[in-house]
Amino acid sequence: MLATPLALAACGRHTVDPPAHVTRAQIDEAMRQPTELDFWTWVPGIEKEVALFEEAYPQIKVDIVNAGQGNPHYAKLRTALRAGNGAPDVAQLEFQMIPSFAITEDLLDLRPYGAGDLAPQFVDFAWSQVTGTGGEIWAIPQDTGPMGMLYRADILDAHGIEVPATWDEFAEAAARLREADPEVYLTNFAPAQGAFFAAMLWQSGANPFGGSDGPELRIDLTSPEAERVARYWGELSEQDLIAVDPDFTDAWYQALNSGKYATWIAPAWAPTFLTSAAASTAGLWRVAPLPQWEAGQQVSSNWGGSTSAVLATTRNPIAAAVFAQFINTDRESTDTMANEQFLYPPTKAILEDPAFTGQQLDFYGGQEVNALFADISTTVAEDFQWSPVQEQVYADFTATVGTAVANKADAVAAMEEWQARIQEYAEYQGFTVRPS
Amino acid sequence: MTATMPTTARAPRRAKTKRSNILTIAMIAAAAYFLLPLFWLVVASSKTSADLFSTFGLWFSGDFHLFENIRLTLTHDDGVFLRWLWNTLLYAVAAAGGGALLAALAGYGFAKYRFKGNRTMFMVVLGAVMVPTTALAIPTYLVFSQIGLADTPWAIILPSLVNPFGLFLMRVYAESAVPDSLLEAARIDGASELRIFFQVVLRLLAPGFATVLLFALVHTWNNYFLPLIMLNDPELYPITVGLARWQGQAAAAGGASGDLVPLVVTGSLLSIIPLVIAFLFLQRYWQSGLVSGAVKQ
Amino acid sequence: MTATTETAAPAAAAPSTRRPQRTRRNALAGYMFVLPFMIVFLAMFVVPLAYAAYFSLFREQIIGGNVFVGFENYTRAFGDEALWTGIGRVCLFFLIQVPIMLVAALAFALALDTGLTRLARTTRLAIFVPYAVPGVIATLMWGFLYGPDFGPFAQIAEAVGVGVPDFLGPDLMLGSLANIVVWEFTGYNMVILFAALRAVPAELYEAAAVDGAGQWRIAWSIKIPSLKSALVVCMIFSIIGSFQLFNEPQLMQTLAPTVIDNAYTPNLYAYNLAFIGQEYNYAAAVSFVLGLVILVGSYAFMFATNRRSRR
Repeated sequence: MLATPLALAACGRHTVDPPAHVTRAQIDEAMRQPTELDFWTWVPGIEKEVALFEEAYPQIKVDIVNAGQGNPHYAKLRTALRAGNGAPDVAQLEFQMIPSFAITEDLLDLRPYGAGDLAPQFVDFAWSQVTGTGGEIWAIPQDTGPMGMLYRADILDAHGIEVPATWDEFAEAAARLREADPEVYLTNFAPAQGAFFAAMLWQSGANPFGGSDGPELRIDLTSPEAERVARYWGELSEQDLIAVDPDFTDAWYQALNSGKYATWIAPAWAPTFLTSAAASTAGLWRVAPLPQWEAGQQVSSNWGGSTSAVLATTRNPIAAAVFAQFINTDRESTDTMANEQFLYPPTKAILEDPAFTGQQLDFYGGQEVNALFADISTTVAEDFQWSPVQEQVYADFTATVGTAVANKADAVAAMEEWQARIQEYAEYQGFTVRPS
Repeated sequence: MTATMPTTARAPRRAKTKRSNILTIAMIAAAAYFLLPLFWLVVASSKTSADLFSTFGLWFSGDFHLFENIRLTLTHDDGVFLRWLWNTLLYAVAAAGGGALLAALAGYGFAKYRFKGNRTMFMVVLGAVMVPTTALAIPTYLVFSQIGLADTPWAIILPSLVNPFGLFLMRVYAESAVPDSLLEAARIDGASELRIFFQVVLRLLAPGFATVLLFALVHTWNNYFLPLIMLNDPELYPITVGLARWQGQAAAAGGASGDLVPLVVTGSLLSIIPLVIAFLFLQRYWQSGLVSGAVKQ
Repeated sequence: MTATTETAAPAAAAPSTRRPQRTRRNALAGYMFVLPFMIVFLAMFVVPLAYAAYFSLFREQIIGGNVFVGFENYTRAFGDEALWTGIGRVCLFFLIQVPIMLVAALAFALALDTGLTRLARTTRLAIFVPYAVPGVIATLMWGFLYGPDFGPFAQIAEAVGVGVPDFLGPDLMLGSLANIVVWEFTGYNMVILFAALRAVPAELYEAAAVDGAGQWRIAWSIKIPSLKSALVVCMIFSIIGSFQLFNEPQLMQTLAPTVIDNAYTPNLYAYNLAFIGQEYNYAAAVSFVLGLVILVGSYAFMFATNRRSRR
């Protein structure tokens, strides 16, 4: 054995070679064995969906662990994977993290377990997000965040501003509103929210990491589509037409409540979130589609949403794979997720169900918000690809483009710096980088 | 400089002196600065989420919600907060108690016995404090995981038993508080070294022991990073990690996180109270314990 | 801390006049007392540290696996601009924060020791209470108070009509962090100094008072010199604390992400290297380099104070 620091850990770590295809009989056999599965997720109240699974497969017991959310969750997951024990069988992963865990061979390809047959049940973009470059199915979509625009109808009305349908109109509205009321900004650009900026790039048609495959990383953050996004937000900030506060902080919550921002460009999970985070503004908000680059177009993108992934270290690949598929496709389970956990559904069945789309939310003046986002779901571009070093990409975003926008500096130049930083890092990590 | 015995610290001797108003006002102003954030915490604990983000921060809003918030904090998620409180208490008491005993034994050993490596060992322990452990968390986790300690209460308690500051304090304290003549007398009586320690020395070390105990208690109580790395199971979390988790959920960019902000604020308030009470009640001990620790070098 | 071992020598030297047999028994007993602590120290501190040191000699890439690279991580660290900028920043932080904290702690301790203040017990406790507040919660509270739009300071400044200071902006951030640390640890240092003052024999003051010395003069000529060793202890802990600064900037990063970058302090840098960049080996090397800097700093400080006192 090699005397490497991880030699100790390596012996504890065993990767399952997936059989070419698992037969129905093998699955049935495995699901009859008494088995315990560990499931790491931060969805509050997911016990209900898990109970449905346990009811369907009484021999399988699932332990739910909330090991944190976002970066802390991934850091713990990585640490446990390195140690070779303590990692769960199934874990919640956000879409953008799938390549980062696939590159280290920590995810189980779910094709042999029949996941391929599930494709038609999901909206197209969600399914393409969980599909690897080699056709692998790395995870099952749990929820999504197609992008729209939440706006304060009262503020726009008071100043006679139409709801902007294009980014040009949006910029004009920003200037008019600023002039009419110096206390209010049309929107806020959170300088550390790489996920928002990624959604903007996605909508613009940029695909900065598209074409990356395994050890070959392609980075293109200077394409015209990427550049126009940076220029747009950079210029709005330079003219002081938008706020640049960090989001999900006390000050930001207060700003949402006090009406400092007239819009929040946000995804489908935002309406529920706002209901509690800005409770004092109930009834004042409405939802509209994302402003467009070209009038008359309907192109959206995605921010957030999660999947259930099976880790390659699992000792129970069949049960784990069946579990990941069950909670995200079983009708009762997906219904519960959509209506009790308020996760925005990726399955067509729910998105077409009038019981879901017909809900009229008082917070939004009785608007059928779910229906609007269901329409948007189908307009999300499909081919957007994430990098295999996504945490670093986001960290570098904040240090370069995010900071440039916040400081009213040259955001377009910052895009080059962002690209340079990612390239330097990726090369250090052994990737072959192909800028194009 | 030879310190006086800690127990004979000066009694208040200036009943006759005239009090200074200027000095008093200055000190009260200083105290106000130190209490200001805590006052904010109390005020914020009495507010609903909506009021928290829409009313003036340093005064109560009309809707006094403190008791409701406390109830919500204690009952959220099947009362997991109480579980965390209990864990914290367990970790803190076990680690502080065990750590203080180890420090007392070793401090006394270093102070009163001559043996090879005495000085070297002591310096190595103090030198180890200089290396920041934050980024070493991963190697540490890997070691702990190999011996099966990760994700168990031992992963928190065992490392916290090592208390270099406590060792330092106990050594200094033992030097001044335990007279050699007393040890000699006990030895002549034929008492074993261990017996001497537990029957004679430990009593003399009591104030120093209480000091180390309290400071270790605070240290373990406020420990955040170690449990964050070592523990996966929320049933094992101490309060700091639990509250941080709630805060993460409150700021969740991913759907229905519930209304957790007031719980984080109220939970913070509740988690401080036990320590403040401990310091209040044990004030006499830890202060006299520090007297010699700080002076005698 | 060298001072400690020097004065320890006479205490330990005393038994050597006794019979050798006694000394051996004595040495054995010494080991026995020290052993439990040292075993736990070895297992919980030295072993992980040694493993981390070993670990720091490798380089593991996402693509390409794990190779032994000797001291390459250390040469990289010594030439790493981000790391040294961070070290420079904590040096500056140290120079701002520690004098304020120690002067305040000293002033409070002296004021309380004069016995001239009313409500002394209450104020002493009030100043000390922040020490019992977890750093996580302290930063949460100050983060709110610093708030640029809705923080009470901002609201008061606005009501008075003066400009709102940008506590979370690039110019004031280091000061805002220093304020949090001052808030947390002044009481702790005050208590150590106060305790040291109480141990000074009262006769010294009384004699001076009889000679007609005022409180200021007593404080300056008798009390402060007698606090020298206690101040050295406070300084050493402050050096370690400043250079290892982590919790406060890490938590403040969410409030001011464009001001506090991932390499703002060396410890934060090491953390982010490990947990964001997956550069575990390099992160360990950075930690050891930082440990070395702290060690050198602490010893340089002690060397300087020892020399001065001998003059």
